[in-house]
Amino acid sequence: MTEQNRGPLNLVLIGGSSGSFVIFEQILKLATRPLPCAVIFVLHRGKSSMANFPFLFKAKTKVRMEEPQHLDPVENDCIYFAVPDYHLLIGPDKRFYLDDTDKDFFSRPSIDATLISALQSGINIRAAMLFSGASQDGALGLKLIAEKGFATYVQNPDFAEVPRMPAEALKQYGRHHILDDKTIFEEIRSVLYSYST
Amino acid sequence: MVLLEYQELELLITKVREISGFDFSGYARPSLLRRASRYLTKHAMDLSELHIHIEQGGKTVYDFIQELTVNYSEMFRDPDFFISVRSEILTYLASYPAIRLWIAGCASGEEAFSMAILLKEAGLFDRSLIYGTDLSERVLSSAREGVFGLGHMRTFSENYMLAEGKNSLSDYYNVAYNQAIMDPNLRKNIVFSLHDLTGDGVFNEFQMVSCRNVMIYFNLEQRQKVFKLLYESLGMFGFLCLGKRETLRYSGVEENFRIIDAHLNIYQKIK
Repeated sequence: MTEQNRGPLNLVLIGGSSGSFVIFEQILKLATRPLPCAVIFVLHRGKSSMANFPFLFKAKTKVRMEEPQHLDPVENDCIYFAVPDYHLLIGPDKRFYLDDTDKDFFSRPSIDATLISALQSGINIRAAMLFSGASQDGALGLKLIAEKGFATYVQNPDFAEVPRMPAEALKQYGRHHILDDKTIFEEIRSVLYSYST
Repeated sequence: MVLLEYQELELLITKVREISGFDFSGYARPSLLRRASRYLTKHAMDLSELHIHIEQGGKTVYDFIQELTVNYSEMFRDPDFFISVRSEILTYLASYPAIRLWIAGCASGEEAFSMAILLKEAGLFDRSLIYGTDLSERVLSSAREGVFGLGHMRTFSENYMLAEGKNSLSDYYNVAYNQAIMDPNLRKNIVFSLHDLTGDGVFNEFQMVSCRNVMIYFNLEQRQKVFKLLYESLGMFGFLCLGKRETLRYSGVEENFRIIDAHLNIYQKIK
């Protein structure tokens, strides 16, 4: 273990669907070691998708990337990608749990499932963010996280390739911080590397 | 949406154990929490109502157990898995005079029927016996009937084709009243019976055990116990098949197996 991941665990939860892939790539480019948080990406993808994200993105960042298996520990200084066809839950014991209950909004992995489990785990959530997509998934989880006083961010629907997902999040809760096109990556960088919790 | 807290879940687990004897203690809590929350939402119930229903006995507690343990299944789920079973396992087992397979956590029998078809097409069905077990009598009785909603058959047929099946899946069932009734000949060599992986022990020796997407129900400690049971249920050089995203990591029996297919999580017992 490095110095960084001996510190208290901080979660940064990032959800997206159609139109989010490119943003995810940009976020990965911002990530350098040591990363003082665990970044967890949940991207909607088909159940037969065999794309291995850590492999696909390996030129983008030097930070360790994983597709977590059931019971793998959640650690700072690592980036995780939810695998297709399972919900990715986070337990109070700081481990990942795979789950194959029904889909939420036709999606497995569902963003809500990950967000809600993170909230219930009691682990500190540094930030939760929602980007472009054609689904309502994530809006409820993001609202619940905001209501508990954690920082929440939503891509400005005007700049999202598919506005439905961020728009729905704002409809359900009007006080998410809005990420505008010009400053989006600066802001995300400061979220990843802020040492205040 | 009703959201539960972990403390509330623990009280619920205790209550269910007192009333029904069913013990959820080895189950993965985050998943149970999600399932219990969904149960309450679906039945428009709050936690205190659920407690009252459970205390009164009757069918609610069994409904609740059922919904928290039922696993999702398709025929030929993960088609490439069946391709690998055909090329890596069945070719190996072809020299055996008798083949016993165990589908642990078989739900309504989708995988047991898939395996029967695979064996039939490999010419091994007549000397094979498939045991499908589950902890729920309700899903087992549906499995024994071998009847599936016609609506599901389209996905199942696509899976079957992707699994490089030799015929058409419809060759193995008849349609009546909007349902697909599996060929009774396939049922002949399948035994469906009650078995709880968290409580029951070894009941036979198998050349292959398939336990896919079941381990994700358990916590670390319970999972190791179940792995030990599966290990002891396999004959030497028998095969263990896990779900697409399940490996022997944290199983306690890693040393006793060699990897046959690293992507599809097929292992062979070697000591």
